[in-house]
Amino acid sequence: MTGRSLDDKCCQKLIQERDMLDMMVQTFTKTSTGTNLHMVPTKAFVDHHNEILRRYISGEPHITSYFCCAPEIYTAMDLPWNTFLTPAFTGAIMPTYHDEIDASGRMFRGMDLCTIIRLAAYIVEEDLVPPPTAVIAMLHPCDGINVVHQTMANNEKWKNIPVFGADPPYWADERSYEYYADELKKMVEFLEEHTGLKMDTNRLREVVKESNKQIRLWQEWNELRRAVPCPHGGAMGLEVFGEATTVHSGMPVGTAWLEDVIADAESLVKQGKGAVEKESIRVFWFDVLSLGLTLELFPWLEQEWGAVVAMEMFGYSPYTEIDTSTEDSMFKGLAKRALHEVPMIRQARGVADLFLSDIEKIVKDYKIDAVVYPGYMGHKDGSGSAGLMREKCRELGVPFMYIGMDLFDDRYTTLDELKDKFSKFFTSMGLG
Amino acid sequence: METKVKSKALDTFKEAAETIVNPELKKWIDQGGKVVGYFCCYGPEEIITAAGLTPFRVRATGSTGTELADAYLTSINCSFCRHAFNMGLLGEYDFLEGVIWLNNCDHIRRIYDNWWRKVDTPLAHMMSLPKLQADKQVGWWREELVILKEALEKHLGVKITDDKLREAIKIHNETRRLLKQLYELRKKDKPPITGADTLAVVIASTSMPRAEFNEILKELLGELKDAEGIKDYKFRLMIVSSIMDDPKYIKLIEDLGGLVVTDSACYGTRTFWVEVDEKDKDPLGALARYYIQEKPSCPRMFRDFPQRSAHIQEMIKEFKVDGMIGLRMVFCDLWAGEFFMQEKNLDKADFPVLHMDREYLMAGTAGQVRTRVQAFMESIGGKR
Repeated sequence: MTGRSLDDKCCQKLIQERDMLDMMVQTFTKTSTGTNLHMVPTKAFVDHHNEILRRYISGEPHITSYFCCAPEIYTAMDLPWNTFLTPAFTGAIMPTYHDEIDASGRMFRGMDLCTIIRLAAYIVEEDLVPPPTAVIAMLHPCDGINVVHQTMANNEKWKNIPVFGADPPYWADERSYEYYADELKKMVEFLEEHTGLKMDTNRLREVVKESNKQIRLWQEWNELRRAVPCPHGGAMGLEVFGEATTVHSGMPVGTAWLEDVIADAESLVKQGKGAVEKESIRVFWFDVLSLGLTLELFPWLEQEWGAVVAMEMFGYSPYTEIDTSTEDSMFKGLAKRALHEVPMIRQARGVADLFLSDIEKIVKDYKIDAVVYPGYMGHKDGSGSAGLMREKCRELGVPFMYIGMDLFDDRYTTLDELKDKFSKFFTSMGLG
Repeated sequence: METKVKSKALDTFKEAAETIVNPELKKWIDQGGKVVGYFCCYGPEEIITAAGLTPFRVRATGSTGTELADAYLTSINCSFCRHAFNMGLLGEYDFLEGVIWLNNCDHIRRIYDNWWRKVDTPLAHMMSLPKLQADKQVGWWREELVILKEALEKHLGVKITDDKLREAIKIHNETRRLLKQLYELRKKDKPPITGADTLAVVIASTSMPRAEFNEILKELLGELKDAEGIKDYKFRLMIVSSIMDDPKYIKLIEDLGGLVVTDSACYGTRTFWVEVDEKDKDPLGALARYYIQEKPSCPRMFRDFPQRSAHIQEMIKEFKVDGMIGLRMVFCDLWAGEFFMQEKNLDKADFPVLHMDREYLMAGTAGQVRTRVQAFMESIGGKR
């Protein structure tokens, strides 16, 4: 007996989030006539939340980690992981969201610290997340994430929870991948020690092979989005990313869903149908997506301007398949993924070059009419690359817009302001 | 509040802190000497010195605007970076033969990406600084030092031998020892030098040919040894900050009656409180260990907060500090987290703390700073 229960304060936020997501699942069930592609990813999060809550109560191991810390390893160890970042991404459907953002601002005596990070630190500080068995800290790509884990280690309730942080080199070369592969091996030792679970190399191989399959499918889906009109808009990008890199990473259920997504996209392409009835502008959204954006801004862009987000930072897969022949080759491949391939991490962690080369490739491959860099207030490194991005777009002859917004707080730049900015931008560029 | 002693040496340092190319540096350049800039106190100055160059920590002293930089950076980038890059774009740093960056923070690392594309500096070199501090990270940083050494050798056509490195370590350690001696004088009940003037000395240490700096500092120490001390202050304060290279800001605090007697700052004790091991047979190994494990760390170093706190506690105790002022550049995530943790710890100890956000230029904010510091000092008075 652990003496823990679902009535514990630390469970309430997760329960509330689960219930809101479950409500979405029920809505999909009632309103769908055929396959609803949103069902699997949404239900996955409901199941995930239930499992974290169950393990918290039973005392079975679960950890805190991230999509860029080799989640394939956790799948291979049958180890569920929760992330501090979810509250920001799902905030739009939570009734207490604005209050929490404000409280997190008061906690840090200011609102200029990345909202995701503020919220993550806040939920730990206010005992709004079940404490895990162990924490895998993410130390890249930004300063903010480093802050979360340092404040957490200074928290009374969390300070005795074992923490492992893999040290991320700044470069993307063989030396760095080997260094980081060694860090990942140390991470496995840490997890084995603190969770009592073992990682079997053959099981890891199965998972990585499955993950490779997911990557192939993700890229196939990317190819289909080159079509004009684009079969799927930006909202789907977040879900594809989520399935391949979080809750279903390296799991057949995720692979099956990706196959369904491709079948749907393929069918739409064959019929000449797009996500937007009359596609007139193809946008590249070069930053993170939140539920709020995909529920409000993107539908407006589609309806008002015939603008489809034909590619987005999180929907684009630059991954390479991992060589599964030896344990070393797998760890090196996972290290490369973690440092150089995971969306956002790849651009933000090291030098700014990938911001530019990704823009160039995506603009050309996806027939992009406009590049939008939202300038999320938390992404200081990205904003420090904004001028270079603008120059790259100028060189490519494609319009570029920098917004300057909080992707996770709709009061920072309101929906109306965003609509106004987009309308002026499209009009002045002669788009739409 | 003023330093009582009239000193030519101190005037030299103050001039160096108020300018970019100070007379000593100009003399060095005029004699054919080359200068290499660096952006952070983790910048391995010793290797630059060993290459026969003068290391110069890049500042934006004298900057009045960010018009050119704003075409590349945005309003959520720290104002130090915007001003420094602006000066680079204006050609104010054309005297540099090279600049060295490391991934110390999200703002400064992006200056590298913009600088090498837009500013015509012959050598732009980026280094990968670990975020952990174990022996493995010492090994990685040593490799990075080797890469830097080779880049300088190739660029300059020189050979940086172990003997040259040892000699450079000795010179820089002497600076550290001398600065520590200066700080020792501030432990007195009547310190002979203000915090503003001390900051000018520390800034000068990063802006002048180092051997010359050491000689002038020895002269100043001699003058200060038995000089009349400052007694007309109300409280002894400590500054905790990232980049703070503006003595006028400290003067403003001191003119309100709070004498700044020490700090944990990157223009301060974090750069010189500990020395590099001169006896190590491998000078690069000694340097790697110093920067990763031995010097007081900055908040980017993961989970070293207890040691950083211990350094602050040591300062508070040794310098009989009455209150701490934390200065954070707006938009700095690392220091937002650090001050949140510090405040929690110091609140528990009921120790007076004031945390203020600041922009790089004080212009326009002096009144606000004055009001907040006055209120803070009243609160210290209440606790006494």
